[in-house]
Amino acid sequence: MNLRSELQKLLNVCFLFASAYMFWQGLAIATNSASPIVVVLSGSMEPAFQRGDILFLWNRNSFNQVGDVVVYEVEGKQIPIVHRVMRQHNNQVNKQFLLTKGDNNAGNDISLYANKKIYLSKSKEVVGTVKGYFPQLGYITIWISENQYAKFALLGMLGLSALLGGE
Amino acid sequence: MFSLVQRFQNVSNQAFSLGIIMVVFIMASSYYQLINNNAFSIPSNIDNVKTLVNVRTSRYFGSQRGKAKENMKIRFDLNTDLTPLFNWNTKQVFVYLTAEYNSTEKVSSEVTFWDKIIKSKEDAVVDVNDLRSKYSIWDIEDGKFDGKDLVFKLHWNVQPWVGLLTYGETIGNYTLTVENNDNV
Repeated sequence: MNLRSELQKLLNVCFLFASAYMFWQGLAIATNSASPIVVVLSGSMEPAFQRGDILFLWNRNSFNQVGDVVVYEVEGKQIPIVHRVMRQHNNQVNKQFLLTKGDNNAGNDISLYANKKIYLSKSKEVVGTVKGYFPQLGYITIWISENQYAKFALLGMLGLSALLGGE
Repeated sequence: MFSLVQRFQNVSNQAFSLGIIMVVFIMASSYYQLINNNAFSIPSNIDNVKTLVNVRTSRYFGSQRGKAKENMKIRFDLNTDLTPLFNWNTKQVFVYLTAEYNSTEKVSSEVTFWDKIIKSKEDAVVDVNDLRSKYSIWDIEDGKFDGKDLVFKLHWNVQPWVGLLTYGETIGNYTLTVENNDNV
């Protein structure tokens, strides 16, 4: 056990985290979305999307079609919501207003929108349009974020494996 | 050299690349099946559309600052067979009836009057008569629906078990000019 190999290991760990971060940011630039991959947290789009499903987003489109499933964040609330576009009104100068609804909800989303608005602004509030789907794998992140011990266990495991792992 | 961590890494790498290959294969084969079944040219028959106009004063019906808002519902006949959309990667089909129109000269709109989630091939034939639309429609602008030309279209969205969401339109539009109509 010499200092050089220990430092080498530390460097490898740094490299791992840096490349993961670069991959994420690269994806964000390519898709023009701050969070290009999201995990479904609620059942409002069932049976299409269940809790824990992974969605891949794209945000280079300047307008949405009716029927698109979009992820939006209302101003002032930091909760991303995944719902379907029911109406679009497009005034051709890069401004589009949308009305959304969850497939599993009885009514539309007006009660979720910011201060008495009855439409969503495509350019300001839509984070991305759902293009791809992978079932259930995101449940790990829900489990980690909702279970405090899981968080520590994961961090501990990462640290241990990085330090103890041979070669 | 063959530590537990190393083995775990090898196994997970293998699983990851195999998973990607499988997903790509499933996506390609289901898209091929859609094309093979002519899913992108399904005929539909929208007919006998009647408009029902009334006035609402709730925010949930488009009214703002207490101003009354004209709302419209429709009654319609619809007949289509969406069986071609079902293949081994179809989790559900979301089918929706929309109308395109111009709110003003500059603002173009598309609104959903009715939609349905179809989960199995057995339910894929839609045949309804004089059905009332699910949603009450108001326009974003202040004008009335009177005299507007609506183009009704039936769209579909295939939600896969894994892969890309697929969208399409059926063939068979229905055009209607809203006429002065005060009955509710």
